[in-house]
Amino acid sequence: MGGACSRKRDQREGDLDDGYGGSARFSRSFYFRWPSRNFERDISDEQDNANKAPSLLELAVRETCKNTQGIKSFEKLPRDLTQKILNELVQTQALSRELFQAFEDCAIQDIYLGYYPGVDDSWMEVIGSQKFCLLAVDFSGSMVTDEGVQCLQICENVEIICMNECKYISDISLSYFTGFTNLTSLSFQKNKLITPAGMRHLAGLPNLKHLDLERCPKIHDGLVYIKGLTKLEKLNLGWCNCIRSSDMKQLSGLTNLLELQISRSKVKDFGITFLKDLKKLEVLNMEGCPVTFACMDTIAGLTSLTTLNLKSCYISDFGCRKLEGLGNLKNLNLSYTNVSDAGMVYLKNLKSLQFLNLDSCKIGDQGVQNFKNLVNLKSLDLSDSLIGNHALNFLTGLSKLESLNISSTMVTDMGLHKISGLTSLKSLNIDSRQITDTGLMALTSLTNLTHLDLFSARITDYGIGSLRHFKKLQSLEVCGGGITDVGVKSLKDLTDLTYLNLSQNGQLTDQALEALSGLTKLVSLNVGNSSVTNAGLQHLLPLKNLTSLALQSCKVTLWAIQKLQASSLPNLVIVRLR
Amino acid sequence: MVRKEDTVTLISAEGFEFIIDRKAALVSNTLKNMLTSAGSFTETELGEVRFPEISTPILEKVCQYFYWSLQFASGKETEFHIEPEMTLELLMAANYLHT
Repeated sequence: MGGACSRKRDQREGDLDDGYGGSARFSRSFYFRWPSRNFERDISDEQDNANKAPSLLELAVRETCKNTQGIKSFEKLPRDLTQKILNELVQTQALSRELFQAFEDCAIQDIYLGYYPGVDDSWMEVIGSQKFCLLAVDFSGSMVTDEGVQCLQICENVEIICMNECKYISDISLSYFTGFTNLTSLSFQKNKLITPAGMRHLAGLPNLKHLDLERCPKIHDGLVYIKGLTKLEKLNLGWCNCIRSSDMKQLSGLTNLLELQISRSKVKDFGITFLKDLKKLEVLNMEGCPVTFACMDTIAGLTSLTTLNLKSCYISDFGCRKLEGLGNLKNLNLSYTNVSDAGMVYLKNLKSLQFLNLDSCKIGDQGVQNFKNLVNLKSLDLSDSLIGNHALNFLTGLSKLESLNISSTMVTDMGLHKISGLTSLKSLNIDSRQITDTGLMALTSLTNLTHLDLFSARITDYGIGSLRHFKKLQSLEVCGGGITDVGVKSLKDLTDLTYLNLSQNGQLTDQALEALSGLTKLVSLNVGNSSVTNAGLQHLLPLKNLTSLALQSCKVTLWAIQKLQASSLPNLVIVRLR
Repeated sequence: MVRKEDTVTLISAEGFEFIIDRKAALVSNTLKNMLTSAGSFTETELGEVRFPEISTPILEKVCQYFYWSLQFASGKETEFHIEPEMTLELLMAANYLHT
């Protein structure tokens, strides 16, 4: 809904990455972006309230925001209305510095201006004027300086402050928050200026629950000032490459911690031992830390853990042994580690597991045998492992599996029929050169698929015909070079497609674009390295939702694309021709 | 013939009376509470609601919205036009009427 409810403050706090980035599946291809924010909102409106009229309040808020000329102050409006108007103006990017002045002294509670263009110290004066009414503020990505932050000094009831990526904010800013006993959430990610001298002021914020210092390179030795913040529940020190084992000592008494991120820090085995009393810890993300099996004794004692990310750590089968007792684990990432079949035995009884990532591990068929009773698995990533067709026999009972990645393995056409009974699958990646039409045709029973990756598989026009069974497909990659215009015609009925990659199919011509002209939900289209020309672009006119288009090495000129953008595809913002 | 109990009278600050279908009035949550609660409001019995703070043109617009909303819900999805000069007053009314 347009005038978002002002009380939903909790949603704005950055969700900590669980190591399974939702957009990862699109990472290989070049871009995937939704159209402008406006559009996004309209879509969700339609879905939420099919046939329900927008409220008069909503309509009046929108209308007010369209005609703001001459408005000097919103002071006379009740504050819940002012809040709605402010939210709408921010969302539609219609708020100018001058107009923001009209919100001075309006007793507004929530001001979310994160990454809003043009925010600087003059905006902070208006924010400060809300005084004790202000409860949440976000000015991430702004030009605000220490002087601007000083305006917040009188907002002593504030609960949430988010100022990520503010390159002019330094130590002194933190001193202005002294005495903010209501402050529960503070975030200043990517701050390159804050040092222990500033961190000192955190000691005076006894009610902090969430502290996010991701990618701050100068905070080492500053953690001594948070050791008394025993109410802390979430602490993010991810990508702080200044953080070492000795810093962990300061966390040893934070026994209320539920989530801790130390990914890509320099914490070693010795540092992990300081975490042994954090018995409530549910999420521990230590991706890329230089730790070995020696840290696993401590990990084994953290029995509340539900999410553990050990990606790229020096963990071997011996370390896996310590996972045996972590019966609450739902989400385990061991990708890019040295674990092999021998270590998988210790996962056998982790019945709560829902997400298991073993990308690029030396796991073979024998290792996978241990997963056959992990019936709660929703997502399994075995890409770049050593598995072959035999491994698929052990997956047949995983009836809750929604996502399976067996790309770049030794699985062949002969094996794929074994997973044809996994009808709950929504996402399947079988990107491998040895997969052909035959393998794909064995999977037509997987009618719930929304994402299918056949990137390098040798699919031809013959095989692509079987895609018609996957009516719910939203994303598809078929880039093996064997598709011609004839094959593209069989995609016509896949009208839910938002993301389509047909690049590397050199025989595709303008006729292929014609066949795609009915796929009006397409947001991203890649037809690079094909024989498409300027003349074919006219067929893209109906694709109003298109935001990215890739046509590398095609006979298409920038001028023709610009004409297309100007005339009918205003959302098309990402274009790649070379 | 429209029966009296099927209609509701809304009275503006200036005393202007709008007689509308009860069904339309129920689009407003505030009116719904007033008109359907068990006897605690006099409005429930009389089918008459006074709005000493809502001017005639605004109340008229509100009534138009009630009917537009019903049409919208039945599948006739048209635009609802709001004159720019009345937006702020209409905001207040919509807020009060929980509409």
